[in-house]
Amino acid sequence: MKKYITLVLLGMIMLSSCHKKDNSIDGPNLNDVYGEFGVINTLGQNLDSVDFAVGQTAYFTAQMSKIIDWKITITGQTSGAVKEITGTGSSLTQATTTWLGETTYFPVFGAEICDVQLTFEGEDDTLTSTIKIIQSKLNPGFLISDFESGFNNQWTSYIQSGADMDFQIKTDASSPQGNSYYNMAGTVDWDYLIGYLYFGASAYGSPQMPITGNGDNTYFNIMIYGEPGSVNTILLFQFQEDDDLSGGFANSSEDTYSLEIPVNWEGWKLYSVKYSDIPCLVNGQPSTPNGNGQHNPDRLNQVNMLHLANPVTGFAKTKVDYIIFTQNEPLKP
Amino acid sequence: MKSLLTILSFSLAAFTLAQNGKKVQFVGGARAVMSNMDFQTGEEDTVTPRKSAGGYALIDLGFRINPNEQTEILGMIRVKNDLGGFWGSNVAFDVRQLYVRGVAGKIVRYQLGNIDYKMTPYTFYNHNPDMLLGGVGTLQIKEDILNYESFYSKNNTWRQQGAAVDFGLAFPKIVKDVKFNGFITRLNPSNLSNIFERFYGGGNLVVKQSKYLTFGLNHASIFDLKETAASENPYKNAVSTATYEGKLDKDKYTVGLAGEAGTSAAGYSQDSSQLTDFFSNTKVYLKLKELNLKLSIGYMDNGADFRSAGAQSKRINYNQLNSFYSRYTNSQIDRQISIYDLYNDPTLYSSSITEGIMDYNPAINNALPYGTASFNRKGIFGEVQYQDTSEKLTLEVKYYQLSEIRGQGTTKLRKYNFLQTTAKVDLMKFLKIKRHLDFEAGFSYQRTTRPSEIEFENVSLKSAAVSLGVQYELISKLFLLANVYHFESSGNDLTPIRNTNDEIISFAPYNANNYENYFATGLKFNFTEDMYLSAFYESNLNNGNGMTPYTINQFMIVYNLKF
Repeated sequence: MKKYITLVLLGMIMLSSCHKKDNSIDGPNLNDVYGEFGVINTLGQNLDSVDFAVGQTAYFTAQMSKIIDWKITITGQTSGAVKEITGTGSSLTQATTTWLGETTYFPVFGAEICDVQLTFEGEDDTLTSTIKIIQSKLNPGFLISDFESGFNNQWTSYIQSGADMDFQIKTDASSPQGNSYYNMAGTVDWDYLIGYLYFGASAYGSPQMPITGNGDNTYFNIMIYGEPGSVNTILLFQFQEDDDLSGGFANSSEDTYSLEIPVNWEGWKLYSVKYSDIPCLVNGQPSTPNGNGQHNPDRLNQVNMLHLANPVTGFAKTKVDYIIFTQNEPLKP
Repeated sequence: MKSLLTILSFSLAAFTLAQNGKKVQFVGGARAVMSNMDFQTGEEDTVTPRKSAGGYALIDLGFRINPNEQTEILGMIRVKNDLGGFWGSNVAFDVRQLYVRGVAGKIVRYQLGNIDYKMTPYTFYNHNPDMLLGGVGTLQIKEDILNYESFYSKNNTWRQQGAAVDFGLAFPKIVKDVKFNGFITRLNPSNLSNIFERFYGGGNLVVKQSKYLTFGLNHASIFDLKETAASENPYKNAVSTATYEGKLDKDKYTVGLAGEAGTSAAGYSQDSSQLTDFFSNTKVYLKLKELNLKLSIGYMDNGADFRSAGAQSKRINYNQLNSFYSRYTNSQIDRQISIYDLYNDPTLYSSSITEGIMDYNPAINNALPYGTASFNRKGIFGEVQYQDTSEKLTLEVKYYQLSEIRGQGTTKLRKYNFLQTTAKVDLMKFLKIKRHLDFEAGFSYQRTTRPSEIEFENVSLKSAAVSLGVQYELISKLFLLANVYHFESSGNDLTPIRNTNDEIISFAPYNANNYENYFATGLKFNFTEDMYLSAFYESNLNNGNGMTPYTINQFMIVYNLKF
């Protein structure tokens, strides 16, 4: 019996195994939380000059002594365009810093020299560099207009006879892309409509706009300016489809999708929407389209842009630029 | 059949003790507390009231009904009235206890409703890691109140709501007897949306092979009931352990080996980061019968990812505000939970099983914040228990020398030293005097270190507590009470900050420069063993971690009755 007990007890002890030394750690490395910050490898970049139009990309490198929140700020010396790239880590790599030429704050970049600044959260250290843009990036898609070539006579416009009416293409430094934009302003105290501009497909040489995608992979994009101190503007876009491919649009038997954008912000903003998310509206209320009921951007016959404002709210003003349909993703200017 | 009869008589004997032949009995308790408190702070404070007074009276009235010899029903209601709130206001009626228990088929013992349950220290066990030192006198009165309020018992049970069964079988050969225990409790109901119906269940079987060897298998599991919520991600925490004890019982001594080892798994079913780990805890002991001295030494190894909600839930969540004088000074800073609050405020305590990792106070218990079942600890421990034959002196000493298994934020490991001693002296027997004179002293010391040449990795935290209590019978049944308690903590540590999945996402510096002094004296008159009236004055000085000191003075009258 004693032998039996002894054996069992020994077995129990053997069962009581131990943990080996564990070289992993729980939580973040303390050095990354409390360690002293320092720059091990200074700011570097793969190219001094980059041509985004031919598909080149730029990226930046640096090595720090600890994990930290960092921010790269690229500022166009001529345009004032700003691109910000942020991240958290102890190094900057191609994977985390690749720049395709897009912008974070309008305007978009042009062919210019840009200042590059690397800063770190909670630290005074700032690393700087410059990079030259040979050609700015191209945005694939169907461009309705960037207003750089003036007014297309095949567009249709209407301006109410109100006060301070100012519907025209303007060229100045406030343009978010290129040098020109379309300005819409005025006071109409008897009607919501202040003015409109219709972009018919015929202006582009065909009865339907040359868009190849479907409603789920096509995005409508526009840069819109909100006038500081004024939130009166409502932009209404109507997308009229030539469902029967007759070369024209019949409201009673074909689809119209409508997009209402209350311009309630200040400054330039990119507005992007998936085409299939644009509803059919009648008097501002969701309704059933009159045509095939399908979003068919490839059958777009006309895009109407209407500047509306409540007549009792007085003067309304906005600007628009770079109206473009893109495929698979929203515009990244 | 013969073996079954042996177990049956055991079960009934244990159960019928409470019946006394009466079909209906009144049981319960009553308490009245009056308090006059004075709060002072060294900082400028024109906002916090200097004084507060209050109290309450309550009665817990229970009906114990024995419709037959094998069934017992207990229903207890509480009527509580804050002083000054008569005539209907501030009166609360609650159901305090409700259960049915009995013996089914003369074999299976069961209980439904409120159950007080525990299994093993690593599966389902109400550790008490924060109340480092007990004491006679005023501290005893306060500890009794908070234990009663939160249903804490001396044998470390958790009060839950559910069902429990147990039965046993005796065998003529190979094994002596086998006992089976099972329980199921409901932790939280579904909200019929995204929260599951959550249960906690398990059981064990304990095999007594002979007088030399006992072993058991235990399992406890928190689990969500699928399809009770619009979610496909239920939670589960399963713990399976084996317990064992082998001993050799001689005339002059007993020597044995006992322990527990097991595994755990915890996490949400769809999460990739399921935590699994194991633990083991083994000790050898020697009991010298003539000296009434027990010595034990052991080794514990609790994995860094060992999770057992039933054994790691704390009585107090330190991530809460005090319920009285929660803020002070003109800046209305938070008043942290102090040692005094642990004794003084029963509302801080909970009887819930919590599946997440609860916050703890490193100054109070950094070595074993979740009791013996604390994860990420390994090392040796020893214990000395002594009581002389005439029970004049009772002495208990525990010592742990532990370290982490996995470093937090570094591969360097914290090391812990933890000493806990208690001595109780019956001076009436010692001095051979006629009146009772009880003295109790306790000392607790902890030290946490993580030496490093890198400053922010360096950890050095010490804390110590000393408690002295005296209870002297001035005249028959009238006792003089006196208590002194000192607690201090100094040094630094880094406490982990965890996200909702209990993963450490950062560390917060913890700097201690704290001390507390408690002094109390008063009188207590014992009408009977279960009824007393006490009046005492106490003063607690807290240095507010060296920045915002305050003093709480309180005069209390406590009447307590159990029936």
